[in-house]
Amino acid sequence: MSDSESVEKNGIEVSNEYVENGTNKLIVKCKFCGSKMLDKKSGTFVKQEKDLPLMQQETGKDAEVQNEKVNEFYHVENMYTFENIGFTHTVDNYKYLSCADCDAGPVGYYDMNTKHSFVALSRINHA
Amino acid sequence: MAKTYDCLFKLLLIGDSGVGKTSILFRFSEDAFNISFISTIGIDFKIRTIDLDGKKVKLQIWDTAGQERFRTITTAYYRGSMGIMLVYDVTNEKSFENIKNWIRNIEENASADVEKMILGNKCDLDAKRQVSKERGEQLAVEYQIKFVETSAKDSLNVEYAFYTLARDIKAKMEKKQEASNPPGGRSGAHQLKANEQQRKPTSWLSRCSVL
Ligand SMILES: Nc1nc2c(ncn2[C@@H]2O[C@H](COP(=O)(O)OP(=O)(O)OP(=O)(O)O)[C@@H](O)[C@H]2O)c(=O)[nH]1
Ligand SMILES: [Mg+2]
Ligand SMILES: [Zn+2]
Repeated sequence: MSDSESVEKNGIEVSNEYVENGTNKLIVKCKFCGSKMLDKKSGTFVKQEKDLPLMQQETGKDAEVQNEKVNEFYHVENMYTFENIGFTHTVDNYKYLSCADCDAGPVGYYDMNTKHSFVALSRINHA
Repeated sequence: MAKTYDCLFKLLLIGDSGVGKTSILFRFSEDAFNISFISTIGIDFKIRTIDLDGKKVKLQIWDTAGQERFRTITTAYYRGSMGIMLVYDVTNEKSFENIKNWIRNIEENASADVEKMILGNKCDLDAKRQVSKERGEQLAVEYQIKFVETSAKDSLNVEYAFYTLARDIKAKMEKKQEASNPPGGRSGAHQLKANEQQRKPTSWLSRCSVL
């Protein structure tokens, strides 16, 4: 991931190689199959620390889900803003987002309370 | 934020367990991803964007849970659905026979004007076939529903099926809106050029988005 040249906190205008005027400068695509998830300028860059299950879980006997901390997201207010995306069933008031074509994920999450979606920058490609 | 699409259609996939409903929503590829985490939880629905005759159409496609039976699928399940894909497996006679039960269930529980389409899936498995294409076509004629054989595995006719169902829903909505809003001052509103439409989005939106 980029070493965030001038990335700032929420609300403050952010610019780097991916973010311009606070939104995604480029198209957001699946890392694995290239499926288009978001059009340019349709997600708002936010910083927040969240635990997100790993995309590739180690196949051990214990069913413990392995997480990692993710702190850069695109915030999408309306789910129909997405071009192509999958929503999983609800787990603890969240749905996970996945690629609509190859099912890779989670690439982010959807909050059932606010009905807002968050896409992790580290889990997608910019194009 | 302003809407960036013209229409939103809610679609539902139903049919017996194992016919390939979840697979139809997945694009099989050579380097299939290790999807263990996502597939364990299961997909509730997907959003796909298609271009339908110059209109940007969002499809929200709901998969139904594996063990659901037509006996347990009731009105709440169908609420808001504008199109239903009825899926059977061409290598499974029983799943074909059950299409009639699914249709009855739709008639009893879904809105009367929901668009339907029958898919005979797994048509790549010719050696194991139990249901001929002709029988699928006959059933479709009997119920006056469109029909196509698909292979989720080979991505055969899957896209075609979604476009066809979406196009039928759009046509039905336009017809209804024409009826309730007969040609006059507003006629031809949906024939505006793309750039004109962007300036006056409401004319089309009010016709097409049923949210
Ligand atoms: N050869 C072949 N196999 C298919 C096709 N579609 C699905 N399958 C296989 O059929 C099996 C069942 O597919 P699913 O997509 O899980 O079926 P489903 O309708 O979602 O089943 P439930 O979730 O239990 O209702 C899987 O092993 C798929 O790989 C196809 O077009 N061709
Ligand atoms: Mg399924
Ligand atoms: Zn993908």
